[in-house]
Amino acid sequence: MVTQATTEARAAPVELAPTSLDEAAAMMLQLAHDKRVVTFAGGGTEPWPGGPGEGWRAQGQADEPGPERAGGSGGLASSAPPNSMVVLRTTRLDRIREHAPADQIVIAEAGLTLAALQRQLAPHRQRLALDPPLPDRATLGGIVAAGSFGPRRTRTGTVRDLIIGATMIRADGAVARGGGKVVKNVAGFDLPRLLCGSQGTLGLVAEVAFRLHPLPERSETVVVDAVDAAGAWSLVRAVREAQLEPAAVAALPQGERFQVAFRFEGFGPGVRDQVERFLGRVTFEGRRGERLDGDGEAALWARHDELRTAGDVRARATFLPAGGAAAMAALRPLADALGGGAIVHYPTLGIAFVTGTLQDPTAAARALAGARRAVAPGNGAVVLAAAPAPLRDQAGLFGVVPPALQVMRRLKAAFDPDGRLAPGRLPEGSAP
Amino acid sequence: MNALARRISDVVGADHIVTDPAELLTYEADGLTHGRTRPALVALPGSTAEVSEVLRLAHAEGMPVVPRGAGTGLSGGARPAEGCLVLALSRMRRIVEIDLENGWARVEPGVPNLEVTRAVAAAGWYYAPDPSSQVVCSIGGNVAENSGGAHCLKYGFTVNHVLAVRLVLADGTVVDVGGPAPDAPGYDLLAAVVGSEGLVGVVTEATVRLLRRPEATRTFMATFPSTTEAGNAVSEIIAAGILPAAIEMMDRLAIAAAKAATGLDWPDVGAILLMDADGPAAEVEHVSARAVSIARAAGALEIRIPRDEAERQLMWKGRKSAFAAVGRLSPSYLVEDGVIPRSEIARVLGEIARLAGAAGLRVANVFHAGDGNLHPLILYDARVAGEEERAATLGGDILRLCLAAGGSITGEHGVGAEKAAFMAEQFRPDDLDTMQRIRCAFDPARLFNPGKVFPSPRLCAEVPGPYRPHPVEVAGVAERW
Repeated sequence: MVTQATTEARAAPVELAPTSLDEAAAMMLQLAHDKRVVTFAGGGTEPWPGGPGEGWRAQGQADEPGPERAGGSGGLASSAPPNSMVVLRTTRLDRIREHAPADQIVIAEAGLTLAALQRQLAPHRQRLALDPPLPDRATLGGIVAAGSFGPRRTRTGTVRDLIIGATMIRADGAVARGGGKVVKNVAGFDLPRLLCGSQGTLGLVAEVAFRLHPLPERSETVVVDAVDAAGAWSLVRAVREAQLEPAAVAALPQGERFQVAFRFEGFGPGVRDQVERFLGRVTFEGRRGERLDGDGEAALWARHDELRTAGDVRARATFLPAGGAAAMAALRPLADALGGGAIVHYPTLGIAFVTGTLQDPTAAARALAGARRAVAPGNGAVVLAAAPAPLRDQAGLFGVVPPALQVMRRLKAAFDPDGRLAPGRLPEGSAP
Repeated sequence: MNALARRISDVVGADHIVTDPAELLTYEADGLTHGRTRPALVALPGSTAEVSEVLRLAHAEGMPVVPRGAGTGLSGGARPAEGCLVLALSRMRRIVEIDLENGWARVEPGVPNLEVTRAVAAAGWYYAPDPSSQVVCSIGGNVAENSGGAHCLKYGFTVNHVLAVRLVLADGTVVDVGGPAPDAPGYDLLAAVVGSEGLVGVVTEATVRLLRRPEATRTFMATFPSTTEAGNAVSEIIAAGILPAAIEMMDRLAIAAAKAATGLDWPDVGAILLMDADGPAAEVEHVSARAVSIARAAGALEIRIPRDEAERQLMWKGRKSAFAAVGRLSPSYLVEDGVIPRSEIARVLGEIARLAGAAGLRVANVFHAGDGNLHPLILYDARVAGEEERAATLGGDILRLCLAAGGSITGEHGVGAEKAAFMAEQFRPDDLDTMQRIRCAFDPARLFNPGKVFPSPRLCAEVPGPYRPHPVEVAGVAERW
C-alpha cells in the first residue's frame, strides 16, 4: 500500500496533461510502473475532498508550492521528484468525438468543458440537460467523477441518468469501455454509472457518451419571496397536487428565509399555462409570485451558481424531501458557523448545499456533527465536498460509514490494488 | 434428499423446497424455453433471513446458485446451471412500506411490477418502468435485468427508479445499498446491482421511486405505407424537440399478428406508429397536435385518436400483445432484442428483410422506435428440419447488424445465457475484464449464475496484474517519456 498521500504532501505536485487517450494510457502505465500516487483533475470546479489536486488549487494556500508543469508529451520521469503526488489533468482532452443530432447523443473527451459542449450543441437546438455551477470550468469527466448536478436534476436527473457510455483508463493502464452510444443498452455491467461519483478512485474517466435533450422553446421562472422551509415544502406539495412539472426548483437564502424559484420549460403554450396555474396556487397559499424570463431569469440562476460555489467550505446535505424543514433547522448552525454562510436547498429532491468561509474549525465541526446527527435517522448525510484541512481533520469528510463498505473496499481493490488513485476520497474510516 | 437439501429444507420448510424431478421441470427454463437445464434443487425462501441462511449453506458447499424471479426473462438469465440451487423469490411478495410524501415504496422482490402501481394508483401515483410482461414479471427480476418498457424513452429504466436494495451476498452477508435519501456516500453500487443479471447477489427488498401521475396523456395512432415513412415521422417528431412518453412501431406482419390475436379493426398497412405524450395538459395538447401534423406531413395514411381511455387501452393492447400474437402466424418464433441508433431504423429494417429473405424465414418487427430498440420476431417451424438453426443464425446476424450500426446486442432483455457469446463481439477483452472485476467485488467465489453474461468462464483470481505489455507500449508511444 502506497502512503505518499500523507507523508509526502509537502512535495510539489507534478502536473501531467495528456493530449490523447493513447497518451493518457501510456502515462497511466508508466505511473503504475513507478507506483506513483495519482489524482485526476479537470477544470478545478469540484474540489474533490482529501486530495491535494483540485483542493489546493481552489483554496490557493500560500504555503503550497506551485505545480511543476509537465504536460503533453513532456518528461515526467526526468523532472518529477520521486515521491511527489502526480496530478493528471484532462483539460487537453477536449475534443468532441461524435455528435449525432438525429440520435440525440454526443461522445466527447473528458476534459471538454460543459459550456464548450453546450456551445457546440446549441445550433442543433440540443443540450446536455445538466446545469452544475461554473460550466466554463467544469469538465465532463469531472462532472462524471464528482456526480455533479444542478437544479435541473428535478426534471432530468443527475449525470448518472444521462450517461450512456464511458471509456476509463484503469490504474494498470488498461483502457476499458462500458455502455455505448445508444440510449437503451443493458449489455454487461454498468461501468458508466458506476464511475458517476467515483471521485477518480477507480480510474481516469477519459471519454464519455451522453444522451441529449432538445433545447426548450421557452423558459420562465417564478420566484416566491420570504418563504420559510416549511413554506417551501408546502409549495412543492401544491405543485405536485396540481400535477405541474417544473424543470428546476431551488430555494435561495433571503435573510433567515428563502426565495423559492420554480422554473418551467417546454413549448410556449405549455410553459405559459403552467406558470399561470402555478401563480394561482401561490396566491391561494397567501403569497405572491414574480415572473422572470430573459435577463432577469438568467440573473436569478447566476445568483444560485454563485451561492453554491462561495467560500472555502462546501457541504452537501442529503435527506428525505419531506424532512426539508427539519434539515434546514439542523443546517442553520453550520451556515452561521461559516461566517454567515449560505444554504441553497432543492426542496423537491431532499438536497441542500451549505457554503461559507471557515472561521473557527472547532465550532464548524461541532455544527457539522449536529447536522449529521439530525439527518442520519432518515438515511441522510452531510458530506464535505471542500474544506480547509483543519475542518476536514476534525469532522471527517463523510461522517458516516456506508453499510456496504466491505463491497466498496473490494471494488476499489479490484480496480486499484495498490491504492494509488485519488487517496482519501472514499468514506472509509472517515467517521469522526 | 442429500444432507445439504435437508439443511436447506430445515431453513425454508419442507413445503418450500423442490427436489422431485417432475416438479423440477418447471424450473428448467425461464421465458426463453429452448434451452433447458435441470437444477439439483429449488428453494423458495420467505424472508431475508432465510435467503441469507440458505446462501450460507450453499456457499459452504461451493454450490452454484441461480436466483429466479417470475421466470419471464427472455434471455435465459434464470436458466439453471448444472447441479445448481435455484433460489426462487416468488414467495417474497409483500409491499413492505409506502411513503407517498417522499415518493417511494419498499417492496419484496416477488411483487409483480404492476402491483406496485396498483397499490398507489388510487392516490394518483405510479411506478414508471412498464415492461410488456408487467402483469407477471417481478420487481426483483426487473432489478436484475434493468428492465425498460415502452415508456422508458422519457422516464428511463429500472436503474433510474431504484433508490435502495437490500442485497444478500454469496456468503449470506446482508448489505444495504443506497437509501430513500439521495446520493448515499461512497460508490454508486446500485449501478452495479441493477442489471447485473443475478451475478452479484440476491435482492430481498427494493425501494423504488414513485411518480405522481401526469395530468394528461394523449395517444394517437398513425398508419403508413411502409416503415420508411413511419421511421421518417419518428425522426421528425424527435427533431421538432418533442420527447414522447412512448413511440412504438409495428410492421405489416406484426400488425397482421396483432389483429389476428385481438380482433382490432386496424387496416392492413406497411407500418403503424403509436405515440403517447404525457405531462401537464396544455403542454400535452400542444405536443400531440404538433406530432400529428408532423406524421401527416411525413405521409401518414390515417390518424386515429382514441375517443376515451378504453379505446386507448385497446390500442396499447394491440401493441403489447404483439409478441404472443405472432404465435398465431407461426408454430414457433424467436424474440430478438437489439438496439441501433434511431436514425438507422429504415436502413437496418431493409437489411433485416434482406437477411430474412436469404434465410427463407419471415420476420415481424415490433419496436420502441424512439430509442431504436428493435424486437424482430423470427418466425419458424421447429418441426421442419434445420429451420430452428436457421432462425438462430438469422437472430445472430441481426445482432451483428445492430453492432455494425453502432448499437447493442440487448436493449432490455439482458444478455443471460443466450447472448453471452456475443458479448465478445460488442466488447473487447479489457472491457470484459473490467466488468469481471465489478462482479468479483461482490461475488469473489463466482457462485452466482455461472455461465451468464460473460463469454468465457474465468476465476476471479485470474485478474491480470498491472504489468502486462500495454498496446501503446508495444506501439512505442510510451517511450516518448
